[in-house]
Amino acid sequence: MSGPLANVDVSKLSDRDKQELQQFVVNESQKARIQSSIHSLTDVCFKKCIPAGGVKNGKLDKYEEPCVRQCVDRFLDANLVVLRELERLRG
Amino acid sequence: MDSFGGALGGGDPKSQIMRQVQQEAAMQNARMLVEKLNEHCFDRCVPKPGASLSKGEEGCFTACMEKYMSAWNTVSKTYVARIQKESQSGAALSNTF
Repeated sequence: MSGPLANVDVSKLSDRDKQELQQFVVNESQKARIQSSIHSLTDVCFKKCIPAGGVKNGKLDKYEEPCVRQCVDRFLDANLVVLRELERLRG
Repeated sequence: MDSFGGALGGGDPKSQIMRQVQQEAAMQNARMLVEKLNEHCFDRCVPKPGASLSKGEEGCFTACMEKYMSAWNTVSKTYVARIQKESQSGAALSNTF
Protein backbone atom coordinates (compact mmCIF):
# COMPACT_ATOMS: atom_id res chain seq x y z
CA MET A 1 0.00 0.00 0.00
CA SER A 2 1.45 3.36 -0.96
CA GLY A 3 -0.64 5.51 1.32
CA PRO A 4 0.17 8.73 3.15
CA LEU A 5 2.03 6.65 5.74
CA ALA A 6 5.14 6.90 3.59
CA ASN A 7 5.34 10.61 4.44
CA VAL A 8 5.03 10.17 8.19
CA ASP A 9 8.24 10.25 10.18
CA VAL A 10 7.46 8.02 13.13
CA SER A 11 10.60 9.02 14.98
CA LYS A 12 9.25 12.56 15.31
CA LEU A 13 6.29 11.39 17.39
CA SER A 14 6.25 12.20 21.08
CA ASP A 15 6.39 9.36 23.59
CA ARG A 16 2.80 10.07 24.52
CA ASP A 17 1.71 9.83 20.88
CA LYS A 18 3.65 6.60 20.44
CA GLN A 19 1.97 5.11 23.46
CA GLU A 20 -1.42 6.21 22.25
CA LEU A 21 -0.74 4.72 18.82
CA GLN A 22 0.37 1.46 20.32
CA GLN A 23 -2.87 1.15 22.28
CA PHE A 24 -4.81 2.16 19.17
CA VAL A 25 -3.19 -0.60 17.12
CA VAL A 26 -3.87 -3.18 19.85
CA ASN A 27 -7.55 -2.18 19.83
CA GLU A 28 -7.79 -2.18 16.05
CA SER A 29 -6.19 -5.64 15.82
CA GLN A 30 -8.72 -6.95 18.31
CA LYS A 31 -11.51 -5.47 16.21
CA ALA A 32 -10.04 -6.96 13.03
CA ARG A 33 -9.86 -10.41 14.66
CA ILE A 34 -13.50 -10.19 15.70
CA GLN A 35 -14.54 -9.10 12.22
CA SER A 36 -12.63 -11.94 10.67
CA SER A 37 -14.46 -14.37 12.97
CA ILE A 38 -17.78 -12.82 11.93
CA HIS A 39 -16.90 -13.46 8.29
CA SER A 40 -16.07 -17.11 8.84
CA LEU A 41 -19.14 -17.65 11.05
CA THR A 42 -21.37 -16.08 8.41
CA ASP A 43 -19.76 -18.36 5.86
CA VAL A 44 -20.54 -21.47 7.92
CA CYS A 45 -24.03 -20.44 9.02
CA PHE A 46 -25.23 -19.16 5.65
CA LYS A 47 -24.40 -22.56 4.20
CA LYS A 48 -26.24 -24.35 7.00
CA CYS A 49 -29.29 -22.16 7.40
CA ILE A 50 -30.19 -20.97 3.92
CA PRO A 51 -31.56 -23.86 1.86
CA ALA A 52 -29.54 -24.87 -1.17
CA GLY A 53 -30.58 -23.52 -4.56
CA GLY A 54 -31.69 -20.12 -5.79
CA VAL A 55 -32.63 -17.26 -3.48
CA LYS A 56 -36.02 -15.65 -4.07
CA ASN A 57 -36.33 -13.30 -1.12
CA GLY A 58 -33.69 -10.98 0.28
CA LYS A 59 -35.00 -10.98 3.84
CA LEU A 60 -34.12 -13.72 6.31
CA ASP A 61 -37.37 -15.59 6.94
CA LYS A 62 -38.73 -16.78 10.30
CA TYR A 63 -36.78 -20.04 10.10
CA GLU A 64 -33.53 -18.66 8.77
CA GLU A 65 -33.04 -15.87 11.29
CA PRO A 66 -33.22 -18.04 14.43
CA CYS A 67 -31.19 -20.70 12.64
CA VAL A 68 -28.35 -18.23 12.05
CA ARG A 69 -28.42 -17.08 15.68
CA GLN A 70 -28.40 -20.64 16.99
CA CYS A 71 -25.73 -21.61 14.50
CA VAL A 72 -23.39 -18.97 15.94
CA ASP A 73 -24.07 -19.95 19.54
CA ARG A 74 -23.76 -23.69 18.92
CA PHE A 75 -20.59 -23.24 16.88
CA LEU A 76 -19.02 -21.39 19.80
CA ASP A 77 -20.28 -24.06 22.23
CA ALA A 78 -18.68 -26.70 20.03
CA ASN A 79 -15.48 -24.68 20.01
CA LEU A 80 -15.50 -24.71 23.80
CA VAL A 81 -16.03 -28.49 23.87
CA VAL A 82 -12.98 -28.93 21.65
CA LEU A 83 -10.87 -26.70 23.87
CA ARG A 84 -12.01 -28.42 27.02
CA GLU A 85 -11.28 -31.84 25.56
CA LEU A 86 -7.81 -30.79 24.43
CA GLU A 87 -7.18 -29.35 27.86
CA ARG A 88 -8.22 -32.67 29.41
CA LEU A 89 -5.97 -34.68 27.10
CA ARG A 90 -3.05 -32.47 27.91
CA GLY A 91 -3.54 -32.50 31.66
CA MET B 1 -12.27 10.45 21.18
CA ASP B 2 -10.13 13.58 21.13
CA SER B 3 -8.30 12.71 17.93
CA PHE B 4 -11.41 12.34 15.84
CA GLY B 5 -11.49 15.90 14.52
CA GLY B 6 -7.82 15.65 13.61
CA ALA B 7 -8.33 12.29 11.98
CA LEU B 8 -10.87 13.79 9.64
CA GLY B 9 -8.84 16.85 8.80
CA GLY B 10 -5.57 15.06 8.12
CA GLY B 11 -3.33 17.17 10.36
CA ASP B 12 -0.72 15.64 12.62
CA PRO B 13 1.20 12.40 11.92
CA LYS B 14 -0.54 10.47 14.70
CA SER B 15 -4.01 11.08 13.27
CA GLN B 16 -2.71 10.31 9.80
CA ILE B 17 -1.53 6.91 10.94
CA MET B 18 -4.76 6.21 12.79
CA ARG B 19 -6.83 7.15 9.79
CA GLN B 20 -4.74 5.00 7.50
CA VAL B 21 -5.06 1.99 9.83
CA GLN B 22 -8.84 2.42 9.99
CA GLN B 23 -9.12 2.76 6.25
CA GLU B 24 -7.12 -0.40 5.69
CA ALA B 25 -9.31 -2.27 8.17
CA ALA B 26 -12.51 -1.04 6.50
CA MET B 27 -11.12 -1.94 3.10
CA GLN B 28 -10.13 -5.42 4.21
CA ASN B 29 -13.56 -5.92 5.73
CA ALA B 30 -15.33 -4.84 2.55
CA ARG B 31 -13.08 -6.99 0.38
CA MET B 32 -13.81 -10.03 2.53
CA LEU B 33 -17.56 -9.41 2.37
CA VAL B 34 -17.55 -9.07 -1.41
CA GLU B 35 -15.47 -12.20 -1.80
CA LYS B 36 -17.71 -14.37 0.41
CA LEU B 37 -20.86 -12.89 -1.04
CA ASN B 38 -19.82 -13.61 -4.58
CA GLU B 39 -18.70 -17.11 -3.69
CA HIS B 40 -21.99 -18.08 -2.02
CA CYS B 41 -24.33 -16.32 -4.40
CA PHE B 42 -22.57 -17.50 -7.53
CA ASP B 43 -22.83 -21.02 -6.24
CA ARG B 44 -26.57 -20.67 -5.66
CA CYS B 45 -27.65 -18.39 -8.47
CA VAL B 46 -25.56 -19.60 -11.39
CA PRO B 47 -25.56 -23.40 -11.22
CA LYS B 48 -24.87 -23.70 -14.95
CA PRO B 49 -23.12 -20.63 -16.38
CA GLY B 50 -24.67 -19.69 -19.72
CA ALA B 51 -23.62 -17.30 -22.48
CA SER B 52 -24.69 -14.35 -20.34
CA LEU B 53 -26.18 -13.62 -16.93
CA SER B 54 -29.95 -14.11 -17.27
CA LYS B 55 -32.58 -11.83 -15.72
CA GLY B 56 -33.47 -14.63 -13.33
CA GLU B 57 -29.87 -15.08 -12.25
CA GLU B 58 -29.52 -11.36 -11.69
CA GLY B 59 -32.65 -11.27 -9.56
CA CYS B 60 -31.36 -14.21 -7.57
CA PHE B 61 -28.08 -12.40 -7.04
CA THR B 62 -29.76 -9.26 -5.73
CA ALA B 63 -31.86 -11.27 -3.28
CA CYS B 64 -28.90 -13.42 -2.28
CA MET B 65 -26.72 -10.38 -1.58
CA GLU B 66 -29.38 -8.87 0.64
CA LYS B 67 -29.82 -12.15 2.46
CA TYR B 68 -26.10 -12.65 2.96
CA MET B 69 -25.73 -9.18 4.41
CA SER B 70 -28.69 -9.76 6.73
CA ALA B 71 -27.06 -12.99 7.85
CA TRP B 72 -23.79 -11.11 8.40
CA ASN B 73 -25.55 -8.55 10.59
CA THR B 74 -27.33 -11.26 12.59
CA VAL B 75 -24.06 -13.15 13.10
CA SER B 76 -22.33 -9.95 14.13
CA LYS B 77 -24.99 -9.09 16.74
CA THR B 78 -25.10 -12.63 18.13
CA TYR B 79 -21.32 -13.00 18.23
CA VAL B 80 -20.68 -9.65 19.90
CA ALA B 81 -23.42 -10.35 22.47
CA ARG B 82 -21.79 -13.69 23.18
CA ILE B 83 -18.32 -12.20 23.60
CA GLN B 84 -19.73 -9.63 26.00
CA LYS B 85 -21.52 -12.30 28.00
CA GLU B 86 -18.44 -14.52 28.16
CA SER B 87 -16.12 -11.72 29.15
CA GLN B 88 -18.44 -10.78 32.00
CA SER B 89 -18.58 -14.35 33.25
CA GLY B 90 -14.80 -14.62 32.88
CA ALA B 91 -14.68 -17.37 30.26
CA ALA B 92 -11.71 -17.33 27.92
CA LEU B 93 -13.61 -17.89 24.70
CA SER B 94 -13.10 -14.48 23.14
CA ASN B 95 -9.35 -15.02 23.13
CA THR B 96 -9.48 -18.34 21.43
CA PHE B 97 -11.81 -17.81 18.54
